[in-house]
Amino acid sequence: MPFSWKHQFFHIFLLLVSCRHIKTKTPGPTPPPLAPISPLPTADRSVVFKGESHTEKLEVLNPVSLTLECVWAGNHPKLPNITGFWKKDGEAIENSHLTVQLENDQYLIKRVFNIVNEESLGSYSCIFGNEAKVDFLLAAPHIAEVRDKPIVSYVGDSVVIPCKMEEPKPKPNTWKWYKDNGTAKEQIFAAGKLDRFEIKNENGYTKLTVHNLTEADSGLYYCGAVYAIATTMSHVKLKVISIQEPLKPFIAIMVEVIILVTAILLYERSQSKKNSTAGNDVNTDQSHIQVQEENSLEENSSMRQRKI
Amino acid sequence: MPPAATTSLGYSPPDGGWGWAVVFGSFISIGFSYAFPKSLTIYFKEIQEYFSVSYSEIAWVSSVMLASMYAGGPVSSVLVNRYGSRPVVMVGGVMVGTAMLLASFGTSIMHLYLCVGLIGGFGLAFNLQPALTIIGTYFQVKRPLANGLAMTGSPVILSTLAPLNQFLFDSFGWRGSFLILGSICLNCCVAGSLMRPVTKVVPPKPGPGPPGKSQSCAERFIDFSLFKHRGFLIYLVGNVVLFFGFFAPVVFLAPYAKHQGIDEYSAALLLTIFALVDMFIRPVTGFLGNTKLVRPKIQYFFSFAVSYNGICHLLCPLLPGYAGLVGYAVILGLGFGMVSALLFEVLMDLVGAHRFSSAVGLVTIIECGPVLLGPPISGALVDAYGDYKYMYYACGVFMLAPGIFLFVMHYFNYKKLEEEQRQSVAVEMRTSEETVQLNMSQSDKSTNKAHG
Repeated sequence: MPFSWKHQFFHIFLLLVSCRHIKTKTPGPTPPPLAPISPLPTADRSVVFKGESHTEKLEVLNPVSLTLECVWAGNHPKLPNITGFWKKDGEAIENSHLTVQLENDQYLIKRVFNIVNEESLGSYSCIFGNEAKVDFLLAAPHIAEVRDKPIVSYVGDSVVIPCKMEEPKPKPNTWKWYKDNGTAKEQIFAAGKLDRFEIKNENGYTKLTVHNLTEADSGLYYCGAVYAIATTMSHVKLKVISIQEPLKPFIAIMVEVIILVTAILLYERSQSKKNSTAGNDVNTDQSHIQVQEENSLEENSSMRQRKI
Repeated sequence: MPPAATTSLGYSPPDGGWGWAVVFGSFISIGFSYAFPKSLTIYFKEIQEYFSVSYSEIAWVSSVMLASMYAGGPVSSVLVNRYGSRPVVMVGGVMVGTAMLLASFGTSIMHLYLCVGLIGGFGLAFNLQPALTIIGTYFQVKRPLANGLAMTGSPVILSTLAPLNQFLFDSFGWRGSFLILGSICLNCCVAGSLMRPVTKVVPPKPGPGPPGKSQSCAERFIDFSLFKHRGFLIYLVGNVVLFFGFFAPVVFLAPYAKHQGIDEYSAALLLTIFALVDMFIRPVTGFLGNTKLVRPKIQYFFSFAVSYNGICHLLCPLLPGYAGLVGYAVILGLGFGMVSALLFEVLMDLVGAHRFSSAVGLVTIIECGPVLLGPPISGALVDAYGDYKYMYYACGVFMLAPGIFLFVMHYFNYKKLEEEQRQSVAVEMRTSEETVQLNMSQSDKSTNKAHG
């Protein structure tokens, strides 16, 4: 009998060890993790505040056992005891209500949280009595918006959609790309060289290249920065149009140019005709000689002849 | 005695009438030439991604375009001397339009260098030179004003192209935008069609007929004898130095603001303030240059404008915070606009309108160097010291030194010109006295003959 228990224990241990080595987690509901046997790395964050409500942002990359501590150090009712409790995402955490003693003119409350997957991320708040609170916003690093307006490209052309994790932020383990096909996000796999899609990943930077675009390729594309704890997404809209679209204003403006040039030259011709008919009626021994030099290319030869 | 200007031109320019339509045409051509290369930078990020190249490789497109525009100056001058302004501008407009059309189908970055950079740049050169030259043929008395108004095209067209390019980019991506920009550049042909060759009203002359073969020979190609012209040389030396520090402060205004912690939108606002002040001051400068007080000594006005720029740059690092930068943007706009408005007017004033075409061609190709090298050298200064103030000090020196140089040299030049004027008047009086004496002796002889 002990042998089978040890056997069982060994299997559980292996399972947990292999679970801990999975670095990439796909977004979406995952089964709640088993209580790890080897401890998670620890971290703590303490906030001292004076009664105004305070927000603290925390970037989480890997699973961690996080101790959050709130110290209310001023502007507080000097009651000997005060109730304190924790909330996650606006809902009170069960069994978190405590009676906090006033020590050194401070109220202190702290709690350890196991942040292991995407569901563990979110907003944690410590609340004293009814008013004073500190919000801890736990999130994986956010990707800067690629472009708020759609990227425009053409049928038959190719397009490059980049996604970058800005410098001071930690680089993700890998990147993934998704396309919104109306109902859900579908992951894009850049299979081989013949594929229309090409994904190039560098450390803090990824590029999705789509070749031979068609109008069906228009839509929302998501790039996901994959961290041990979760994957953060950013989206970009692609719009594929045909070459006819810019051709219309192009032709319109060209027509406008041709009309204006013709109008101006015709006006000039009519003016010069008026002048020459007026000139012919004038006496030859007039003191003013009007010499109109037409420098247009066609009349060059005649001009040169005149000069000789 | 007829004013010196008309005898050098050979006719009396209209100074109005159709001339204002020509100024409008020049406004468009000059505007496109200066604003177009700057406005293309908005597409660079996407094109950089598309062709997978580094930012400096894509920035080369602008540099090649600017270099071609300046290098194309002499070619443009030769063509204008031969055929006049109108055909050259129209060919230039077609060139830029075709260049952008071809670029919109580009398959490599080299394609863009050739189309947008080389052909586009040359097309803009064929717009810039003739537009400047034709103003000199239509205006004499009101020329500084006409020049100031025409040069206002640059900030106005830039302010129009910037949001337009953003709109085109959002609607059509870079390829479609290049296609449409091609057709927009064809409007330079409309500007060209306005550049009607001037009707030369020749005043009656008792002597030989209007200048014939000899002038057409000199005007056939480029007038290299300009290198012996004192005023031209002073202008050339002063300009080559000042262009090292002319554009960099504007190019680095926004980055300097961001370096000081100012957000992107406020930094962009600085450039808008600069452009508005620039737009306003150019016609005003032209008008001032036209006044009886300034016109005869317009070279001093230009030297003042250049020195003023230099002092502004030296003061800039001392102005603290955003308010200081706004103040700097305003005085920078004033200085930049003043120099731009007078830049070509003073050259026309020195060499005269009929040699201007060759002069401006020679000047632009020589200025090519400092214009292209200025911003990268300034950038290197910023990188080397990690601080913008040394760059501003350097630019200040690059503008103050030529400003003082121009003041001093033009003082001597004006003195020499006055001396030469007095000498030529004395010679004329002597020849007329001699002719009178000759006539008198001849009439004496004839009377003697009659008597004898």
